[in-house]
Amino acid sequence: MTEPIRVVVVDDHAIFRSGLKADLDERIEVVAEAATVEQAIAAIHEQRPDVVLLDVHLPGGRGGGGAEVVAGCAALLGETKFLALSVSDSAEDVVTVIRAGARGYVTKTVSGAEISDAVQRVAGGDAAFSPRLAGFVLDAFGTAAVANVDDELDKLSARELEVMRLIARGYQYKEVAKELFISIKTVETHVSSVLRKLQLSSRHELTRWAVDRRIL
Amino acid sequence: MREPLIRSTEDRIIAGVCAGLARHLNVSVGIVRVGMVVLALAGGAGALLYIWLWLLVPTAADEAMAAQRAFNPRNIAENFARGFGASGAGRDGTGRDVTARDGSVSRPVGQPLTQPGAAAVQAEVAAPRLLQRGGKEILIGAALVLAGGAVVAQLAGINLPWGTWLPVLAIAAGAVIAWMQLDDSRRSGLMDRAGATGAQGAVRLLAGLVLVVAGIVTMVSGSITWEAMWPTLFASLAVLAGVLLVLAPWVLKYWRDLETERSGRIRETERAEIAAHLHDSVLQTLALIQNRAGSEQDVTRLARAQERELREWLYRDKRQEEGNLVDRVKAVAAEIEDAYGHPVEVVAVGDAAMTDRHEVLVHATREAVQNAAKHAGGGISVYVECTPARSEVFVRDRGPGFELASVPPDRMGVRESLIGRMERHGGEARIRNTGSGTEVHLSLEHPQEGTAS
Repeated sequence: MTEPIRVVVVDDHAIFRSGLKADLDERIEVVAEAATVEQAIAAIHEQRPDVVLLDVHLPGGRGGGGAEVVAGCAALLGETKFLALSVSDSAEDVVTVIRAGARGYVTKTVSGAEISDAVQRVAGGDAAFSPRLAGFVLDAFGTAAVANVDDELDKLSARELEVMRLIARGYQYKEVAKELFISIKTVETHVSSVLRKLQLSSRHELTRWAVDRRIL
Repeated sequence: MREPLIRSTEDRIIAGVCAGLARHLNVSVGIVRVGMVVLALAGGAGALLYIWLWLLVPTAADEAMAAQRAFNPRNIAENFARGFGASGAGRDGTGRDVTARDGSVSRPVGQPLTQPGAAAVQAEVAAPRLLQRGGKEILIGAALVLAGGAVVAQLAGINLPWGTWLPVLAIAAGAVIAWMQLDDSRRSGLMDRAGATGAQGAVRLLAGLVLVVAGIVTMVSGSITWEAMWPTLFASLAVLAGVLLVLAPWVLKYWRDLETERSGRIRETERAEIAAHLHDSVLQTLALIQNRAGSEQDVTRLARAQERELREWLYRDKRQEEGNLVDRVKAVAAEIEDAYGHPVEVVAVGDAAMTDRHEVLVHATREAVQNAAKHAGGGISVYVECTPARSEVFVRDRGPGFELASVPPDRMGVRESLIGRMERHGGEARIRNTGSGTEVHLSLEHPQEGTAS
């Protein structure tokens, strides 16, 4: 039996925190909770959790919400992974927190099992993409842009595009793997690479897309 | 009930005072006008009355504006308070809040004379403003006739005291021009300070001022010699400047107060709007949820529908145009979600303008989502992707799945409404069993002309 994943839950609604705690499966142990930006940063520094489940909208701090928490814990990004949880589906919120360093995003309405899976995945160093986040990526990078080299930051490779499309269509990672005849590990590699591009790219279209939505 | 006293904007010769008065007193406009002219000849009393009414009586547009700004939101807020009161909670706080707001809404000068006859006001605003143009021409015509009459009288030997009349006329014309400007700026300027009328307004004001000053100077120069004129003028200017200097702080303060009040009112309006929206949607739904607490399915359905509505209101993508493909697909998804109680998640990339063929695509999407909701249940994912080359829709469910070959030939649903329909319009529909649910793939190639993406 492996060690449970140590998780800090950051959300300003106590009802939601307790509901989430009850929903997470036994592989996950909630070591601390926080309701504001300051509490979150303090708790994360104290507990050094594996994963932080982070609400995008948080009171306190300078009003930056979840993105501010990630920025405040920048020194820990190597060992602590952030998974954004949001009730808002707006591109602004989601992409801001992803670009701040979060490794994934799930909506609050998904089931406890799905959140547990996403926590596992993020703890393992992979990225957790929801269909909607995949939709944002496709919208931002364009559906036709194909990178010649996989490392090119501003475009997605053909394979990454395929993976993103399938995720946007509602496929889970293992279904994507089966569909494309690749291993789940390969799917995870592609998704992580897309996440890296989303975080680092300064692609002209992405910038414009972000400016349109007042993100950057 | 008597019509409110409002200056007419459509049936007017100078400022619509007579027409407004006539409507208010319920007599013919002609009688009022003749009466006004007669009064004006009686030592200028009519002219004074006219000017006084002009300044104090608001126009229909003023009223409508005030109604729109002060009354509508307040009504909503009142509704909000009433709704709150009905449920028995927080009545006092909300109620007092609203009354306080009543007191703080002060209106532009000259408006409290009338009562808000909202319906009449709306009707007047809607009326065509063509006559207004005619009114101006009539005014010019009348002036010309007067001038002509004066010339004829002069020719006929009647000696008119031009030296007195011309300056008076100039002053009157100048005042009228400047006041028209004031009138306009009060109407449009308070509504939005758009700079469109700025240059024109300045020119008008300047012209009015020049006319008035010239008139006064000419009038005065009759009694004073030109040598005495300059020092006098200088002295008057000095006095004027002194008065301006003294009054400037007050004017500035008044202006600033006006500004703060206006922004405060805008904030209030916004707040009332948000309160009204939350009341109409969220509070109602919460009440419904409490009523239906027994039925899990009802509660979920209500919560989903409310979430969707609120999300739409809060985060609506401004770039996404209404009535386009994505909008339509989302509407279809919402409808089926409401009807069957299964969540339908729509993810969209790009968008396309609707055409007849896209209409077919929407219908097919509807059929596919409905089938998924009926036969598979659970969550349904819809993915819309529009590129310049084609529009595609994927509908995926997690049901037991089915094989097209095993569907009896007499069951027309899938074959006819999905595959047949798409193919007839040059599209394509494919249904496949992914092993963990069914996925319907609808695609429609666009003709060469591009679409928004």
